[in-house]
Amino acid sequence: MTRSRPNLWPIALDILALTLWGLMLLRYWWTGLLPVLLHPDYHWLAIGAGWLLIGLAAWRSIDLVRTRRKANTAHIALLPRQWSLAILVGVAVFGLIYVPRPFTSDVALAKGIAEPVALTRSQPQRFSRATPPEERTLTEWIRTLNVYPEPDAYQGEPVNVTGFVINPPDWSDDYLMVARFVLTCCAADAYPIGLPVQVTAENNYSPDSWINVTGTMDTDTIEGQRRLVIRADTIESVPEPDQPYEF
Amino acid sequence: MGSINQALTLFLSLLVEATPFLLLGVIFSSGLAVLIDERALVKRLPKHPALAALTGSLFGCLFPVCECGNVPVARRLLMQGAPSAMAIGFLLAAPTVNPIVFWATWVAFRDQPEMVFWRVGLTVLIAVIMGWLFSTQKDLRPFLQPAIARAMISPAQTPAPATANPLLAGGTFLLQEPGQTMKLDAPYAEVMGAMAVLPQSTPAKLRAVLEMMLQEFRELGAVLVMGSAIAATVQVAIPREWILALGQGPITSIVAMMVLAWVVSICSTVDSFFALSFASVFTSGSLLAFLVFGPMIDLKNISLLLTTFKGRAVAYLFVLAALLTFALTLFVNLYTNW
Repeated sequence: MTRSRPNLWPIALDILALTLWGLMLLRYWWTGLLPVLLHPDYHWLAIGAGWLLIGLAAWRSIDLVRTRRKANTAHIALLPRQWSLAILVGVAVFGLIYVPRPFTSDVALAKGIAEPVALTRSQPQRFSRATPPEERTLTEWIRTLNVYPEPDAYQGEPVNVTGFVINPPDWSDDYLMVARFVLTCCAADAYPIGLPVQVTAENNYSPDSWINVTGTMDTDTIEGQRRLVIRADTIESVPEPDQPYEF
Repeated sequence: MGSINQALTLFLSLLVEATPFLLLGVIFSSGLAVLIDERALVKRLPKHPALAALTGSLFGCLFPVCECGNVPVARRLLMQGAPSAMAIGFLLAAPTVNPIVFWATWVAFRDQPEMVFWRVGLTVLIAVIMGWLFSTQKDLRPFLQPAIARAMISPAQTPAPATANPLLAGGTFLLQEPGQTMKLDAPYAEVMGAMAVLPQSTPAKLRAVLEMMLQEFRELGAVLVMGSAIAATVQVAIPREWILALGQGPITSIVAMMVLAWVVSICSTVDSFFALSFASVFTSGSLLAFLVFGPMIDLKNISLLLTTFKGRAVAYLFVLAALLTFALTLFVNLYTNW
């Protein structure tokens, strides 16, 4: 009886799909793009999954080379096998090539920039009084406002925040908004927060450019609402930070 | 930024977030298939539908996966002959009834600890009702995809009288030991169970688990990709303010949060923090609806559900779960002081 060579292509393609997928996950980690997609607390999950997939592919390919064992086709396949493979390999290749970009100002405007009082985060161990005003980040300011929204309480406090520029359409020309996106878990739930900035010099900051604003806090009325605004002393253009989102 | 770029980034982030949980579910499902003798398991499960559904719901504590990972395990339970009430109870409640989600909800809603109890309580209640309902269908196979149905142990065949001489029954048999036969045209699962092909040595068991993991991930990964693509597209195409403009009415807020939960498809382990960001704008009942309905059915896991259940069954699951969630959370909104 002649023994035909077992067709090993299906299992080889399976291994390829798994390897590419694992590489895609790990690539985001290596290139530092993972913070654009996922909250840092969960990075270990994605990295672990990437290594697990690579490990699984490595084990199976060693097994393949040693025993030439083909796939156990008694397993139930619900999508036609070629389709599953095509989708997995295609998406993995795409994921390996594409560079995900952080969200920009038009996304922020579309989502609606959260009014400080609308946000609730209870993290009392990071209560703002412990951080001096000039060291607070934009998120910390918003959370502080959240706990005590009265703008006059912060009158005259020094400010030093970094964010990207948004020009809300209804605002007057000497006001812009310095904003950031906040992630709870992954980019799907990103929401924008921001503070109004009154610029003294010319307002020629293009949307989505990153700036560092120093100044003092004051109260003003914008769109009919009393809000905390930053009277800017200096506005400096800065490069986009590695972690564009805050958490 | 181009909605396309935004959609692609969302798509990738959903994938990166969900893949670890899918892997976790696949690990548990493969382990369940290889390491646990299903006959012993099924014998010890309660037969009454409500109790079976309750057991299924509480099984989630053993398998802490989110809604991406529970489909492979539920499928495995069905194939191994677990009562359908139990599998449905597990399917709906496991993403919520596990220690990770308790902890996450408690941390997020520290000043409203009753949220944890309401969330778990309502989820288990809905899962038990749905499990009970589905158990009225004695044979679940018409609800399942054909490949799964073929592999299931048929309930109609199990009560064969022990004294019947197998040689008098119809079918294709293989003679084995004197007086014993193996029925060849029985469903796959019964044949495998009869042959006791579960590997016995530890390296062989490990190899079987890993092999099964590879196969299941390949199949379910593709399905997850499709679900995430749909979720990302819908999120970009529908402006969020349409959904959020409905925040305060007792009915519209619930509907809005349920739609949001369905569209955003966020994992149950982290959705409490997302819901928290709406806490001052939306009624408590609507937040509860988000936390209860989201892990049960959302755009991302509908495609996974379709690998196991037929379209109509998924529609039933969705509509019934939605109605129950709506009714119960409306009750919370209107009749509790919370």
